[in-house]
Amino acid sequence: MQHETTTLIAERRERLGSRYAQRLRAGGRLPAIVYGHGETPIPVAVDRKLAVQHIERGEKVFNIEFDGRTETVLVKDLQFDHLGTEIIHADLTLVNLNERVETNVHVHLIGTPKGLKTEGALLMHPTTQITIECTVTNIPEEIDVDVSELDAHESIHASEIKLPLDTMKLVSDADAIVAQIVVKNVESTGEEATVEGQAAPEVLTEKKKDEEKD
Amino acid sequence: MPPYKIPKRVKFRKEMRRARDRKATKANYVAFGDYGLQALEGCWLKSNHIEAGRIATMHSLKREGKLFIRVFPDKPISKKPLEIRMGKGKADVDYWAARVRAGVILYELAGVSEEKAREAFRRVSMKMPVRCRFVTRRVEV
Repeated sequence: MQHETTTLIAERRERLGSRYAQRLRAGGRLPAIVYGHGETPIPVAVDRKLAVQHIERGEKVFNIEFDGRTETVLVKDLQFDHLGTEIIHADLTLVNLNERVETNVHVHLIGTPKGLKTEGALLMHPTTQITIECTVTNIPEEIDVDVSELDAHESIHASEIKLPLDTMKLVSDADAIVAQIVVKNVESTGEEATVEGQAAPEVLTEKKKDEEKD
Repeated sequence: MPPYKIPKRVKFRKEMRRARDRKATKANYVAFGDYGLQALEGCWLKSNHIEAGRIATMHSLKREGKLFIRVFPDKPISKKPLEIRMGKGKADVDYWAARVRAGVILYELAGVSEEKAREAFRRVSMKMPVRCRFVTRRVEV
């Protein structure tokens, strides 16, 4: 759980649109939008370096100062550039500290599964984060899942995860697979062609010869 | 012709060329595995490039781990033969290619260490016609 809440100093964005957002980014600011609690959405800009540093650490709750007031906000969504690395925009929702919110939490797998000793066994974790409902003060940074007892062909579903507090509620699909041991067929060489040699694909809109004669 | 991947059926035999220099708005993050190889430029990735990359990964990892191929060559590229006059209609299909935009993840790997994945993708990137880089799963909220 997050212990200290970082305070971000924000200023309201008067000029909107991609052109002005780009200029803000070039000046070391991160465009963001604050909304929630029935208020009109407020476009703001925060210090990019500080915000990204804390977001990448897994922090989700921030205090934000703008227009002479301080509000608690939760990072709701992030927008990335085309390479998927740089955060270019953040969605911040106004929250109260005792409010129950839905948020995504990263699932951290602990231990070495015993099923990995099987030849061709692989540990897969198709779902890396789950959605939970909890109070803002109790949002965990990550949820640890022990996979050491996981055997070959076995899996752990989201419903089997023990949440840190009893007051937390799982929102995401209970059947979502969080970790599983799949066993690859060792006998297949992996060298053979992926698709049988095919001269040309079937063309769906092509007229048949018989139709042309008619 | 070696048995590279091509579509089983298509709606039209030939296709217009269209742009290759766009930026990715989807398929630009690691979704299935733990590590990925990302194209930093746009291109038409030929089916034989994709196959060469797959084989390079298999040789490097010695069939360890699971490889996800995130691109499929579904674009027919036509080419006129040498020493032929212009005109007389669009040429026959020469090869099949995947439309790759800057930022698209080409391959993903799961079930291997980062060190092995880096080495495998280093070899794969040499087979690719564009600059590529190694990526991991990005921060999500």
